[in-house]
Amino acid sequence: MSDHAHHHGSYLTLKGGFWTTVKDWATTVDHKKIGMMYLFAILFMFFIGGMAAMAVRFELFEPVRTHVDAAGTMHITGQAFAPADAGTDIKPGNNIYNRLFTLHGAIMVFMVIVPSIPASLGNFLLPLMLGAKDVAFPRLNLLSWYIYVTGSLFAITAIWLGGVDTGWTFYTPYSTTTDADYWRVALMVLGAFILGFSSILTGLNFVVTVHKLRAPGMGWFDMPLFVWSVYAAGIIQVLATPVIGITLLLLTFERVFRVGIFDPALGGDPVLFQHFFWFYSHPVVYVMILPGMGIISDVLAVQCHKKIFGYRAIAFASLGIAGVSFIVWGHHMFTSMSELADMVFSSLTFLVAIPTAVKVFNWIATLYKSSIALNAPMVYVLIFLFLFSIGGLTGLPLGTLSTDLHLHDTYFVVAHFHYVMMGGTIMGLMAGLHHWWPKFFGRMYNEKWAIIGAITVFIGFNLTFFTQFFLGSRGMPRRYASYIDEFQIWHQISTIGAFVIFLGFLIHLFVFIASLAYGRKAPANPWGGLTLEWVADSPPEEHNFAHEPLVTHGPYDFENTVPPHWDPADYPIPEENRTASRH
Amino acid sequence: MMFPAILSMTGLTHAMHSNFSLAPATLAKGGILDWFHKAWFRTDAATANGVSTDNIGMWLWWFCTLWFVFLMALMVVFVVRYRRRKGRIAPKSPSHNTPLEIAWTVIPTLFLVYIFFRGFWSYMEKLVAPGNAVEMSVLASKWNWSLTYPNGSESNATTVIGSRVIPVFYMPAERAIRVKMNSQDVMHAFFVPDFRVKADILPNRYTTVWFKALQPSSGKIHPRTQVDADSAHASATANGLTYGGPNYIKELEGVPYEDHWLFCAEYCGDEHSEMAAIIRVVPEDAYNRWLETIGTGSLSPKDLGKRMYETKGCITCHTIDGAPNTGPTWKNMFGHGVTFTDGSAYSEAQMSDPTFFQNYARESILVPQAKIVTGFGSQMSSYQGVLNDKMIDGVIAYIMSLSDKAPAAEAPEPAAPTGQPASPQVPAPTPAPASAPPSSAPH
Repeated sequence: MSDHAHHHGSYLTLKGGFWTTVKDWATTVDHKKIGMMYLFAILFMFFIGGMAAMAVRFELFEPVRTHVDAAGTMHITGQAFAPADAGTDIKPGNNIYNRLFTLHGAIMVFMVIVPSIPASLGNFLLPLMLGAKDVAFPRLNLLSWYIYVTGSLFAITAIWLGGVDTGWTFYTPYSTTTDADYWRVALMVLGAFILGFSSILTGLNFVVTVHKLRAPGMGWFDMPLFVWSVYAAGIIQVLATPVIGITLLLLTFERVFRVGIFDPALGGDPVLFQHFFWFYSHPVVYVMILPGMGIISDVLAVQCHKKIFGYRAIAFASLGIAGVSFIVWGHHMFTSMSELADMVFSSLTFLVAIPTAVKVFNWIATLYKSSIALNAPMVYVLIFLFLFSIGGLTGLPLGTLSTDLHLHDTYFVVAHFHYVMMGGTIMGLMAGLHHWWPKFFGRMYNEKWAIIGAITVFIGFNLTFFTQFFLGSRGMPRRYASYIDEFQIWHQISTIGAFVIFLGFLIHLFVFIASLAYGRKAPANPWGGLTLEWVADSPPEEHNFAHEPLVTHGPYDFENTVPPHWDPADYPIPEENRTASRH
Repeated sequence: MMFPAILSMTGLTHAMHSNFSLAPATLAKGGILDWFHKAWFRTDAATANGVSTDNIGMWLWWFCTLWFVFLMALMVVFVVRYRRRKGRIAPKSPSHNTPLEIAWTVIPTLFLVYIFFRGFWSYMEKLVAPGNAVEMSVLASKWNWSLTYPNGSESNATTVIGSRVIPVFYMPAERAIRVKMNSQDVMHAFFVPDFRVKADILPNRYTTVWFKALQPSSGKIHPRTQVDADSAHASATANGLTYGGPNYIKELEGVPYEDHWLFCAEYCGDEHSEMAAIIRVVPEDAYNRWLETIGTGSLSPKDLGKRMYETKGCITCHTIDGAPNTGPTWKNMFGHGVTFTDGSAYSEAQMSDPTFFQNYARESILVPQAKIVTGFGSQMSSYQGVLNDKMIDGVIAYIMSLSDKAPAAEAPEPAAPTGQPASPQVPAPTPAPASAPPSSAPH
């Protein structure tokens, strides 16, 4: 990649030998390098969390069965993590399973999905889209990366020392009493506490950047929708994350110093912890999904060469979702609150459905009479629309009080949030990763194999999680290491699906590696986008733009604007134009 | 949201479990709607107030399916119609339409208001128990359910599924029951899928659920013992896992019954997934006759201890056959030396002194953290307030009877003077997950 010939030199150009390069990256304040360092750190944690998920699914392939044979000997089968012989001291199967699902949840939530899109793609793209040289506080940006790595190291240490069996929600009083002789739980909680600071600093940085560093001529409603969504998520990060920080600190105090806050044995109240926890963890769900929605808006408009339908509605829906997200936390606790609180939180919860539905309608309306390029980013957009619609609609029975009493804490909830978080955020990340891959690394990827990978992930995803809706409404509770036999067929299909997803991501991994090694050089504007990141080179030079860009058109004015770097003679016949721009 | 593939999968599941077989009669009864209901909820709701949940659940199911199909159909049509093709220039099209945007905001909002109120009314039905409801108390602990009937008797019934002993709670049909719940340690949740009810159980305050079970419709007739009469259970019966006086069995013989799983739905640690019980619904008159017979007064200390072992959760972690589990086995505990994680130890001579041993056992039951046997964790919750003194005496007597050093007077079979205990012939009812052969799964 370093061979990109440009007189300024791309941000990827090596500065010297190995150690010089390491030092250059380790001390960089360039938002693009920090974004890429986030991307690789997050993908690494995604791999670890994914492996834990595979182990969980592997264990659940069979229910555990206990038989007593004619000789009176007991046999345990189907417990993947248990040495079934009687010579060991403690039956470890459930214990290991509980640690694995905690590991999967904690890593995926705190170390992957929360930072995934804002910290990696957001860091790289936000200043470029605004026409800025960098974020508002570049050194704070580097600090937040180091804080992220430190928090992750705390968590990895906790796993290394034997893992944590609290579930990622750390519900008290279980979390303040389990593994009482060990520091692992305190380490894991402190890890999440530290990660919170990384999230706050990133959010703060982005909010200030959007306010102060927009290019000349760029009003609020000239910003790409991805910027709007990262801005809305940044506000939530700044306002909500301190609450989880304080809560986790209180939890640590209670564990280590036996101060009674949440544990009734010490005079505390366990439901108080749930209120504190969800006061953060519900808004943060929108930190996870809003940037994914932003990616979908942008990729959809560019790949369809069509002005996004209802730009202002989508922008205000982002802010509306961010606002409402602070008053719906109680819907995680319908089974432990008063009737009045349940009623209030159920009615408020339905409010969130409205702006979310409006966004989906806008996206589908954008497809109408557009020019849809069916490449990998667009295939991921369609996958997102499919999965996210299921995720959103299955939120209705969970927000409805009567049905939630049946579905709460079952696999229905597990399926619902995987459809939203993985089907939404991770599919959005995959769409964005392919869409901006040429911009990140200056190389094209293999379109055919990327689409094959996307379809494999899509099939595997539905096998894995659609079955779990049935498991849940049929009564299978969450976090069970073993289950009654009649659930087995559903669990088996789900486990097979998980391996198909794994295969899909392996295909993507090879596509990306092949692109970095042999990929065709990318043009500056391969898809014909109008936003400012497409004005910059692929990959961008160190200071982003040779001259400060001036904004003269809206982000999606495809009807009357020739995309930068495109030949006016070729526009608006996009397919020929794309062919022409391939050198 | 329903794919043909998924549909056939549900059919497969039905076929695998004869209880839900897709008999033509079933289809004729309710038609396609009934079939979808079974695919989704597995069974009809078994309580009067659960039926409203099913109604709104199925309404939502169709509502979501239609919306999803509508949106996806639009998406597919647009993608096919407007895909990028060489030479095709995208026509001018609007990117904003105020009436349309107002319509697609207001119409979903009206639907959501309707859904909220339906859900809320049905929820109030499920929450507010009638004044004449029978109150039962449930105590949840790591990892056991125990239930106290309105007359103060504690439930002592169990059944065997696979090789696992599971508590059985008898409940009258067509009678409102309010369950008052409390936790001995961490949070648990009371979840009976067939009843469509769930409530968290807290250690610091009472929570309640109520339900009114419908008459048993499973077609099953209660056998002579509590334990089902299939072969696995018959062998368990032969091995001495059922007990109780003749009256106790007689009261329920021949009455129809229906079983429903009770699960713990709030994560509570190692044996969370084994924390199951069965709610067995029987006609009210049979229930009343049976309830009068379940006192514990006439049992010997050892038999009382055995009953506590099986119904108070000891069995979840302690075996009686020498196999290790989450806690140390009870076999040969009395009369054999033991070491603890803090490095201290009790010698064989100390452990053979009945008074010394009884004090040690009592301390371990009431203050489990005081002495942790080497190789085990400090997982156990205190039984202070759960077992009274008579029950504790019984449990200790039962533990001592499981030892090859058991005092002659206490030995289970005095005819075996060499000290060979009778109990080792009993296969270990070791806690293993609630995996039941399909034929014995309660429905």
